Amino acid sequence: MFIWKAAFRFLIEGRSQTLFIAVGIAIGISVLIFLNILITGLQQDLVNTTVGSSPHIVVSSREDPLQSLFPAEENKVVLSRTGGLFDTTRPLNEWDHLIEQLGRRELFTAVSPVAEGSGFLSRGEKNVSVRIRGVDLNRADPIYNIEERMVEGDFMVGKSQVLIGVDLAEELDLAPGDLIRLSNLEGTASSYTIRGIFDLGSQAINASWIFISLDGAQTIYQLSNAITGLELQLEDVFQAEELARRLEQSFPELSWSSWEEENPDLLSALSSQGISSYVIQAFVLLAVALGISSVLAVSVMQKSRQIGILKALGISTAGVSRIFLIQGALLGLLGSLIGSFLGALLLLSFFTFTADEAGMPLFPISFDPLVFIFAIAVATLAGMGAAAIPARRAAKLNTIEVIKNG
Amino acid sequence: MADLLSLVGVNKVYGQKVKTHVLKDINLAFKKQEFSAIIGQSGSGKSTLLNILGTLDRPSSGTVYSNERNLSSLSDDELAVFRNRMMGFIFQFHYLLPEFSALENVLIPHWLGQGNPPPDILKLAKQLLDRVGVSERMNNKSTDLSGGQQQRVAIARALINRPGVILADEPTGNLDSDSAEQVNQLMREINEEFGTTFIIVTHDRHIAARCDRVVEIKDGAIVQDYLTAEREERENWEELAPRYCNLRKGEVEWVNKR
Repeated sequence: MFIWKAAFRFLIEGRSQTLFIAVGIAIGISVLIFLNILITGLQQDLVNTTVGSSPHIVVSSREDPLQSLFPAEENKVVLSRTGGLFDTTRPLNEWDHLIEQLGRRELFTAVSPVAEGSGFLSRGEKNVSVRIRGVDLNRADPIYNIEERMVEGDFMVGKSQVLIGVDLAEELDLAPGDLIRLSNLEGTASSYTIRGIFDLGSQAINASWIFISLDGAQTIYQLSNAITGLELQLEDVFQAEELARRLEQSFPELSWSSWEEENPDLLSALSSQGISSYVIQAFVLLAVALGISSVLAVSVMQKSRQIGILKALGISTAGVSRIFLIQGALLGLLGSLIGSFLGALLLLSFFTFTADEAGMPLFPISFDPLVFIFAIAVATLAGMGAAAIPARRAAKLNTIEVIKNG
Repeated sequence: MADLLSLVGVNKVYGQKVKTHVLKDINLAFKKQEFSAIIGQSGSGKSTLLNILGTLDRPSSGTVYSNERNLSSLSDDELAVFRNRMMGFIFQFHYLLPEFSALENVLIPHWLGQGNPPPDILKLAKQLLDRVGVSERMNNKSTDLSGGQQQRVAIARALINRPGVILADEPTGNLDSDSAEQVNQLMREINEEFGTTFIIVTHDRHIAARCDRVVEIKDGAIVQDYLTAEREERENWEELAPRYCNLRKGEVEWVNKR
């Protein structure tokens, strides 16, 4: 097609002008990509630290109004982290069926049944309030990463074998193999062996959580075969809230709470961070578009003879417009391709210079190809949009004026 | 035979507040294969007339016809298509596209009208360049060509779509006399070979004298419109007649002395 050829030739003949604006676009786009990937990495890191090792959705029986009589003060932090207000008084009985149904949705990376309650650990004279969590370790591990974060002992639980947190172990001077007594709130107690000690990175958890097998906890709390809740983890953490609400419709007799509900501060921090990043990106893009627009406006003036002659030779007004729209798109494309390269370079150098002594970056980032594709697509479209006004002016150019004035 | 191109009652007025009446009620028709000149002082309206004939400009009133088709009713884009098929243009300032080679410039009208040129059109373009004597430099950027060469390429370009009429606005106005002579010669030859109608705007009476027909414009009106062959005959007669008479009267010597 002639108009493509003309657009190419006009750009190529423009040489330094084309090069300058392409570099300008490239700088803008590299900032855009740099910012986008940096913020995304930062946010992912933040979310990961917060909810990477905890359930994204917690399922429990509908809250019993009587439970407010039972303020488990010492477990508050833990409770808000896990998001559930599990209690042994509101057991889920037909959970096999529920797990089967949830599993069929293929949305979850982990589905872990929990039987838990508050209790006391006593060792000699000392008596400490703890959270006794009965889990199937194989199912809970994808959520909590316990195995990777074992400090001592074995990664296993049983009916009378438990894992305790590192802070709790320190406080009571416990080690794997030691015997402890655990009792429920009514005071019924039995003996248990410590198999291992974990460090889940949170002081509140490390000081109070005790993992035991499901049937172990069921025995302590006299639940027979019931559980107190389900913990779910998703591929995309940001779908938790929406999914929780959807599932609530399907299972209204259960309470579905997402991490987003439990962490409103984090969420608002993330969103304001995201918004400011988008605002900056939008202004960068605007500057890029204005640059393209002004360069093409100049180009229309420079090429007015050519436009005049092409009109005399029978080009349509749309054809003239398209020559400039294509130039805008090509500038956007060329600039953003260089910009992608520069942006990647910028990110690499940023993380090289800010790396700690061990060479580890501040936080992990991923060079998501989608960010680059998106930036290139947006820049190309913006280039075309920016060309709209010059293209209109070119289309309106009066042939006679051009020819008369030589 | 229908007129190839005709103007009926054409007026052109420029300006909103101060109106300049550039063309005043022009009626003019051109036949196929005519080789005509439009002459006049600068500011006489001859270029405006050519632009209206070439559908680059629209008359303020009056109608332009081509083979009895009313061109005034066509949209700008329809006129663009019409120009592309029916008309070739040669301008004073060459106006090749500097971004393209000579050969590409010749192909542009075909590109615009019918897309990528097939081999036969490519061959035609080369033949035309050969015909105008620029085939050796056909792959040069047009800016590398001399003024005369550029204008000859422009003639080849005007011919590529085999138009019925070629409009030329001072085609030799910017050329040295040798190049001008070549270009004039070439246009005349093409007129004869291809049967293409030429309408040439010029202020050069020598060029006009070599056209079949001369239309003279003054202050936006046609003041003379004659066929040069008839005119020559009449002038010859006007010159010869007094001599003949004087010879009879025995006053020849006086005439010769003068």
